[in-house]
Amino acid sequence: METLSLLAGGFAVALTPLNIALLLLGCFSGTLIGALPGLGPVNGVAILIPLTFAFGFDATSSLILLSSVYFGAMYGGRISSILLNIPGDEPAVMTTLDGYPMAQRGRAADALAISGVASFFGATVAVIGLTLFAPALARAAIHFGPSDYFALYVLAFITIGGISGVDPRKTLVSALLGLMIATVGLDPISGIPRYTFENYHIYDGVDPIVALVGLFALSEILMLLEKAAIDRAKPIGLDSWLPDVRTIWTTRWAILRGSIVGFVAGVLPGAGASLGSVMAYSMEKQTSDKDGTFGKGDPRGVAAPEAGNNAASGGALIPMLSLGVPGSGTTAVMLAMLISLNVQPGPLLFERQPDLVWGLVASLYMANVALLFLNLPMIGLFSRLMLVPTWALMPIVAAVSFVGVFSISNSGFDLQLMIAFGVLGYLLRKLEVSLVPLVLGLLLGGDMERNLRRAMSISDGDWSVLIASPISITLYILTTAFLGLSIWLARRDHKRTQIRNFEG
Amino acid sequence: MTVRLAGVAIFMIAALYTWYGRDYTASFGDVLGPSVFPVIVGIPAMILSASLAVFPTGQVQWPDSPHMLRQVAALAILLGYALLLRDLGFPLATFGLILGIGIVLGGAPLRAVILAAVFAPALWALFDQVLGLPLAFLGRWFD
Repeated sequence: METLSLLAGGFAVALTPLNIALLLLGCFSGTLIGALPGLGPVNGVAILIPLTFAFGFDATSSLILLSSVYFGAMYGGRISSILLNIPGDEPAVMTTLDGYPMAQRGRAADALAISGVASFFGATVAVIGLTLFAPALARAAIHFGPSDYFALYVLAFITIGGISGVDPRKTLVSALLGLMIATVGLDPISGIPRYTFENYHIYDGVDPIVALVGLFALSEILMLLEKAAIDRAKPIGLDSWLPDVRTIWTTRWAILRGSIVGFVAGVLPGAGASLGSVMAYSMEKQTSDKDGTFGKGDPRGVAAPEAGNNAASGGALIPMLSLGVPGSGTTAVMLAMLISLNVQPGPLLFERQPDLVWGLVASLYMANVALLFLNLPMIGLFSRLMLVPTWALMPIVAAVSFVGVFSISNSGFDLQLMIAFGVLGYLLRKLEVSLVPLVLGLLLGGDMERNLRRAMSISDGDWSVLIASPISITLYILTTAFLGLSIWLARRDHKRTQIRNFEG
Repeated sequence: MTVRLAGVAIFMIAALYTWYGRDYTASFGDVLGPSVFPVIVGIPAMILSASLAVFPTGQVQWPDSPHMLRQVAALAILLGYALLLRDLGFPLATFGLILGIGIVLGGAPLRAVILAAVFAPALWALFDQVLGLPLAFLGRWFD
């Protein structure tokens, strides 16, 4: 009951005229960003984080603006998945499987409406789960000591790559590179400069926002330059924007199943939204694909992954808000947002800033409602935006990225650093190294080191303190189990491709 | 081959990182000191990158030389912008940036000029006048 009243308080915070205006603005501009080719949720939000400071709102309002941009961009990405067969971000890949065939058969309006309704229900399930479980986890996390936190960070870095089947060594190297970059600058405890090489620009360390914009937005320009200069195929046009309500109703069970599967996947560490949508889709296919219609434009094939993806992104907020440890790319960007707004997530956040936590939860929910109603009538406008050619869009993106980063410190050095991160991001992407662990290492490295050193101060240099509590032992066991599982999966995939290469 | 080279490069960086990290000495009252964490991070990074150099996975397709040339051109434009922004002022530098990147990405030069001529002042007006981020209209060279 207590959490329900807290959630009601959150809605009261989010329902001020200013916050509603920001929410609508965020949803609208987010959908724009998502619908534009070459701009996904992650790089869209990364570019906007520094600019939000310019508005001078308080943390709650800024957070509402940025998260509605985020959700809007995810929704806008659906539009390009369905009309263009180009997913805006990784979780949207599953939506193209049935969404694009539906659009090809003249049912684009239905597909878009289903994805909206399914997102809304997925988010509802996630908000309910968040309300129930996040405060409980935060209360449990109060008992975490410094050595337990250290163990938790180890778990987060091992699991962030997920069970995607990519070489786990690459993910770990990425996280370690992030941790290395995090140690650059003045050491927070002893105050001596580390890895600064007498360059006073980096005494404060590397600003995560500079890294984020370079890694995601600038590397995208370099990726685009690899391809031929021709523009993409034209999106499928819309005959009407009025969807068929009966079709949506037939997907109700798919939405429900997808939401629950997605939510569970989201709460688990290292899974996040991509796994949520993949699991929801494959489960729905197993349950309902009796006539072999999946992959050829089955409405349920759009509904399940959409519900799963949104439920998972909501579920992933639970470990991020209550422990301060994000489990996915989505929540890593959210964490960057919180840290840049000077908000430290963790168990104390629920006690000290309940307005912020529940205001955020309420606004996520409202963003989904807003997107549902905003997008139905305006879908024609957004689908026309997809015709904007890349050569005209990306220079503007570059200019806006520079302005944002320049506004943080007014230094040309940060701009050069951002370009360096752009090159690094491009090279790592070419090597199939995920960038999310690097960002996470950069964001959490300082805290990880501080907790380790605090634990060692308490024990007076005795390393056994790291495995002295049942919490940390449990976390290390989980870490080992997860590591074993991901190595096994990577080996199995490797063998399969070898066999396939051999046969083909 | 690329993955092997990348493994070697990351190994070198991690080794240098660990080597430098060892020398940061502790001040009094700090049990662990500032050098232990870099070593804890650096050594696994060395091991993992070495294993990537010896047992690489995945193939990397690099773009052909005309495309790579375009990437180099784009990087030169971006760097030029970072170096000249404060000398030229925001609208002029941004004009060059949008024009250059637009052409490198395959836009017709005349159209790119129009795009840059419209957006460079428009972005300045949006950020400086409307949003209140201080961006110089004319740079140091015009003082």
